[in-house]
Amino acid sequence: MTDMATTAKPVRVRRRIPIRSSHHSARRSGGSSGRLGGPLSGVPWGLPALLFVGVLLVYPFFRSVYGSFFEDNGFTSSFTGLDNYARLAEDPIFGRSVLNTLFWVAGTLLLPVLAGLFIAVATHNMRFGGVWQLIIALPYVISGAATAVVWKFILTTEGAANEVLRGIGLDSWAQGWLLEWPQNTLSMIVASTWQATGLNVVLFAIGLRAIPRETVEAAQLDGATGWRMFRYITLPQLRAMTVVVVGMAIVNSLKAFDMIWVLTQGGPARSSETLALTMYRETFRLFHVGYGSAIALVLSVIVVASSWFYLRRQMPDTRPEGTR
Amino acid sequence: MSGRHPPTAHQLDRRSLLLAAGAGALTAVGATACGSAAGQPAGKVAVHGDNVNFGPPIEAAGKQMKSVAGLSLVPEVIPSLESFEQVVKSSLRTSKTPDLLKYWSGYRLKDLARTGGTVDLSDVWRSAEAKGWVDPSLRSAFTYDDKVYALPMNLAYWVFYYNTEVFKENGLKKPETWDDFIKACTTLKRAGITPLHAATDGRWPSFIWFQEVLTRQNPQFYEDLMNGREHYPDKRTERAMQTIGDFADKGWFTALDLTMDNAAAQMIKGKLGMVPCGTWMGALVAGLGGKLGKNIDAFVLPMENPDAKPSMVFECSAFVSTVKGPDRKEAYRVAENWLHPKVAQAFAHALQDGSPNPKVPPANPAIAGVQRTVREKKVRMLNRFWELGPPELVEATVDDLAAFMLNPSSYRSVLRTMQERADEAWKVWREAEKV
Repeated sequence: MTDMATTAKPVRVRRRIPIRSSHHSARRSGGSSGRLGGPLSGVPWGLPALLFVGVLLVYPFFRSVYGSFFEDNGFTSSFTGLDNYARLAEDPIFGRSVLNTLFWVAGTLLLPVLAGLFIAVATHNMRFGGVWQLIIALPYVISGAATAVVWKFILTTEGAANEVLRGIGLDSWAQGWLLEWPQNTLSMIVASTWQATGLNVVLFAIGLRAIPRETVEAAQLDGATGWRMFRYITLPQLRAMTVVVVGMAIVNSLKAFDMIWVLTQGGPARSSETLALTMYRETFRLFHVGYGSAIALVLSVIVVASSWFYLRRQMPDTRPEGTR
Repeated sequence: MSGRHPPTAHQLDRRSLLLAAGAGALTAVGATACGSAAGQPAGKVAVHGDNVNFGPPIEAAGKQMKSVAGLSLVPEVIPSLESFEQVVKSSLRTSKTPDLLKYWSGYRLKDLARTGGTVDLSDVWRSAEAKGWVDPSLRSAFTYDDKVYALPMNLAYWVFYYNTEVFKENGLKKPETWDDFIKACTTLKRAGITPLHAATDGRWPSFIWFQEVLTRQNPQFYEDLMNGREHYPDKRTERAMQTIGDFADKGWFTALDLTMDNAAAQMIKGKLGMVPCGTWMGALVAGLGGKLGKNIDAFVLPMENPDAKPSMVFECSAFVSTVKGPDRKEAYRVAENWLHPKVAQAFAHALQDGSPNPKVPPANPAIAGVQRTVREKKVRMLNRFWELGPPELVEATVDDLAAFMLNPSSYRSVLRTMQERADEAWKVWREAEKV
């Protein structure tokens, strides 16, 4: 400005009026101007995450799929096509393992989820309800392995459970809880329920607090109490939280490992193995790496498919009308 | 940013944060990939193993090693059989492999030796044998392809521990014959004491009864079966399993989920009659307050078949030196002196177990008694079930034996399953031998 002021002859400056149209903006940002805000400008920021997911998740997945077509003992391998999958169909241990895994899924959905919902609703308006919820949530802070050690004291033949049963005169009920199928799997599901219920209680309690007071009051004015209130008001309002709780329960039950490993190591005679344990034993103990990869793939397909179908059915569809 | 204060986490710019995170992640990935062993400072060599009970004995042996060879031993324990084996197998071909290992003898050692990752210790063995530092009959448990690949650490005898006071109260003496043993079981059962410990807990103990009974009925058959020269479905295996089933039917066994530790504790308290175990249990018994040679003693299970040569089972841990370990030269010097009487005695006495060096005096009266029996009866020593046969086969058959222990009447189908596994495993093993 100072220069202009000292110039004898005034220079005519062509003033540019910035005009920004949507067409203009799209063209520029799509070009190589290097300005921030284009669709590719986020790539460098996402790259580290993509790299980690790629290296730690995507590559191992496809490597496992590839490995499942080989007979591999960790040192030598030979291509066998779909043989490992054919073996799965004939292997009684794999069959038992699938059955145990289904027990875990059904048991986890029935026990910790229902118990969590029941306790959360029962303690919601109770005096010192928060304290009760806290006490029930406490086991969740203990690791799975430590929980299993505690339950081992309870479930062995000479453990606390049988002592109590004998103490109250139910001698015939006392048994080797971890020794025979299916009660070993069922006992471990109960042990897992003791630990997992706490988190579900906390999640449902959060959901209950989010129900608008007006809705509840309106229902009360209409005369809804007890079961009717729960069935027609509380439960529908908890739907979003239920989706989260059930989704987590499905995935957690499919990958159950630590508790089973500490309590029975999948035994006796591999009777309490789930797919995760069978995969581990075949791959790392028996060095049937290809066969273990095939089990891993089956497990992955079950986890992804069940989560996908469940979430697809349950999640509210937020897409616009025309795209459904 | 003022620059006056030391940088805190929230003051770091994004690039530094990313760099730090990246470096951290790479370090973590690197550490995981490299296995566990780093070299020790000069004059120290690490001995890696899976058994916590071996820590103090290795330290005790290390003190003597310092005076003998000027080298100290540092015990490094991964207290999980599975994790330890995985670390060893995955790192053996890298320069991060442990220098010295506490491993298993027999086929497990052969399996490791044929990877080429373990040091040939034939010269060390020859020299030790010439000095009388090692029992020559143990050599075959440590050889692969006629070369010695490990040295024995301990010599555990598989015996039956019992409570002398309980036996005395019930008018029983240390069993010298099979009939004495049966009488002891019958008497204890009548007195309300569970006579015998049997377990499937922890998986591996499932083989104990199969091994003990078969070696007392047909020791040569046991040896041949375990080396793939005989078949599981056989009258002799069936007879052994019927004997075990008979014991179970009579209620002589404990619940199968009673751990070894709890069994030892119950025996000391007089609630359990006898516990079959390796003499390494001596340290456990002593730790629980049992007095070996006083209230707790051990006997060698007598032969059921009097025509067969007296036999018993032994177990040796293997002292292995690796080819690529960071301190391998020092490790070899340690191996040269491992069987030195001073070192071997320190180790065996701290472990309260038998020693492979015949010059080492027994660690306790129970071991002394067992050694006397072995000497007097010229007992044939057979390696343990766990160490015989391809490891993959043993891993699977212990589960089959667990199924049998839970349901003894299923022995025929269990034997058939074991044979199917054996056929496949031996085929793979022999093909690998050719390679």
